[in-house]
Amino acid sequence: MNWFAPIPLSIKLPLLAAAMMVLVGTVASQQVLRSLAQVQDARIQELARMHVEGLSVALGPLVLRHDIWEVYDTLDRAAQGGEGRRMVLTAVADERGRVLAATDPRRVPIDSDIAALSGDAVALDGLTVDGASPVLSLLAPLSYQGRAVGQIATELDVSDLLTERRKALLYLIMGNAIAIGLLSVAGFLAIRKMLNPVTSLARQMTETHGKPRSIPASEIPPGDGELAQLARTYNAMVDAVAAKTEAERRLAERERFVALGRLSSSLAHEINNPLGGLLNATDTIRSYPDRPEVVRQSADLLDRGLRHLRDVTRATLDQNRVDPEIRVLGPDDFEDIKLLIQPEVSRLALDLSWSVDPAAVTASGIPAGPVRQIALNLLLNACAAAGKEGRVGLIACAMDGGLTLRITNTGAAMPRAALDRLLGDGPLTPGGGVGLRLVRELARKMAGTIGHANENGATRITVSLPAPMEARDAQE
Amino acid sequence: MEKSINRRMFLGSALTALMADGARAQPIFRLGLTPVFLDNDAGVIDGLRRALSRGMGREIELVQRRTYQEVTGLLLERSLDAAWLCGYPYLQHVDLLDLVAVPVWRGGPRYQSYLIVGADDPAGDLSDLRGSTHAFSDPDSNSGYLVTATNLRRMGEQAESFFSRAIFTYGHRNVVRAVADGLVRSGSVDGYVWEALAAIEPDLTERTRVIDRSEWLGFPPVCARRDSLASEPVQALQSSLLSLAKTKEGQQALMSLQLDGFQRATPTLFDGIADRIRDLAP
Repeated sequence: MNWFAPIPLSIKLPLLAAAMMVLVGTVASQQVLRSLAQVQDARIQELARMHVEGLSVALGPLVLRHDIWEVYDTLDRAAQGGEGRRMVLTAVADERGRVLAATDPRRVPIDSDIAALSGDAVALDGLTVDGASPVLSLLAPLSYQGRAVGQIATELDVSDLLTERRKALLYLIMGNAIAIGLLSVAGFLAIRKMLNPVTSLARQMTETHGKPRSIPASEIPPGDGELAQLARTYNAMVDAVAAKTEAERRLAERERFVALGRLSSSLAHEINNPLGGLLNATDTIRSYPDRPEVVRQSADLLDRGLRHLRDVTRATLDQNRVDPEIRVLGPDDFEDIKLLIQPEVSRLALDLSWSVDPAAVTASGIPAGPVRQIALNLLLNACAAAGKEGRVGLIACAMDGGLTLRITNTGAAMPRAALDRLLGDGPLTPGGGVGLRLVRELARKMAGTIGHANENGATRITVSLPAPMEARDAQE
Repeated sequence: MEKSINRRMFLGSALTALMADGARAQPIFRLGLTPVFLDNDAGVIDGLRRALSRGMGREIELVQRRTYQEVTGLLLERSLDAAWLCGYPYLQHVDLLDLVAVPVWRGGPRYQSYLIVGADDPAGDLSDLRGSTHAFSDPDSNSGYLVTATNLRRMGEQAESFFSRAIFTYGHRNVVRAVADGLVRSGSVDGYVWEALAAIEPDLTERTRVIDRSEWLGFPPVCARRDSLASEPVQALQSSLLSLAKTKEGQQALMSLQLDGFQRATPTLFDGIADRIRDLAP
């Protein structure tokens, strides 16, 4: 039935309707023919019965006396009558089956065996116009005074009945063909008309030219039928799709502005963070211009701070670009970070605890830039959270060949929005800072993990960074 | 239907004739007929009856039976006043029967017996028919049985064993039909009947062929009991028969019977048949 599948519904349904009509017509014709056959069988059986019974009455005593001439004469006279045209041959035999006389004595001679004639003969009740032969053979007992005195074999010409049946069949076929033809055309047109809305719907859905089009109101069938509902539902869907597309377009536009804002904000934030320390270094240089080692230290600090700013700018602007100057993290970086947050620590009179394992830091081989950004961001956040005279701490130690940073602070716990930015990947809520999400993205880039705990009024953020080799393996 | 209409017509005309002739007081004359001639034609029978009735001045009842034996029996027991018999039963009861008149056919009171076969049958004479089926007319018929039976006897054969099966049709026309239709291969038939049929039913006789003809034998005569031959009714019948050719109705009846007339007959006319009877005697 695969060949049937590609045919359009508007052809398929009328074809099915026509096929159904052919089927119904065939079944009806079969019934008519069967009834006709039954009528003809009954007719021929009745005729044969009357023939046999009439002959039995007339021939009984003659057969009993073996009066051959009288048997023949009776048969011959019967054959001249109207019934004779139906009975093409009748032979009468005695009780031993020897023919006494037949209407055609040359074909069935006297004293021949009636069995030779009645080879394919049937009994009276088995007589049926089956259409195979225009002549039926009948063999019936010849009863006289209640006993069988002989046999009657008769051949009945049923060619007229067969002709009648063939005519009936022909008329039925012609009638059915005409009726089915007309009904099929009518059915084709009617179903085609009924399917118009579906065809229109299919056309609107397939010939979209880039976007679905609504079905014009003039093509929607009147009323509240299934097809009208389907068309209206389709139009509603088209409108919904258009609205959604418009919303997506506007959202994408807004996202672009948001992304730009986030970029500017990140840059401003990352540049602003070390500015306090750098300004502090310039103040130191101004205050102690005559102390060369202080000036040198401050100049180094300025140099590293500015390089950091350059790295931050590049990293922010070209997040996917490989850092052209990868510098490995060293203990000095943590000293820089300490100097960079010093103004904030002093301003808030914080109690800063600082524990950096120089060997672990050096051995980790982790790039300096991201770690500096992570540590600076988290420490500045911790300072802000700790508040006046709070406690802030940093521990940098080795862990499984990598490096673990643990930043603690007292004060209020991190709000849910801040935690979402630090620990999740969900969309950023408007108005929040960008530092924590930057920490997360940098840690993920280095295949690191971030943990958060709040115990005994202290908040602890743990950033575990694997060694670069492990990080690459993990990323692969 | 045709027969009943004819009968009704006859009754009407007979009643008229009786009233006209004042013959009401005369008893009905009963004349028996053997199936010797065209007994299947009611018109022929009616014509003969009307002609005789007119000639005799009395009503006539024609009595027909299936076999010669029945008619002969009725005559012998006086149930009939006279009967048109065959020469064979006449000779069988010649001590009780006497001749009233004999028909004249083709100029003489004689006829022949024919042996017939199917038109396409190759048989040339009686001996070719051994072992086949044969139709006789009546066991008391001269032409329809006696001739063939004696011919066989003269050949040293018996009809019962010579033919595989011999049937009696009790009518010469039936013999012709039986042979023409192929029911039997051959038949013994009255030559007069066959010739008469050839004239009026040529389609029937054309399907048969005469392969043997007997010698000329005495035509079937009209007989009466010897003891009633001189009675008035029989004498009236004789007169009527002998003068049949002189009346218009009689001529019509004779024409339909294809006879020339009737004449007086002597027993010597049937000597040929008597010879055959003797030959057949065991």
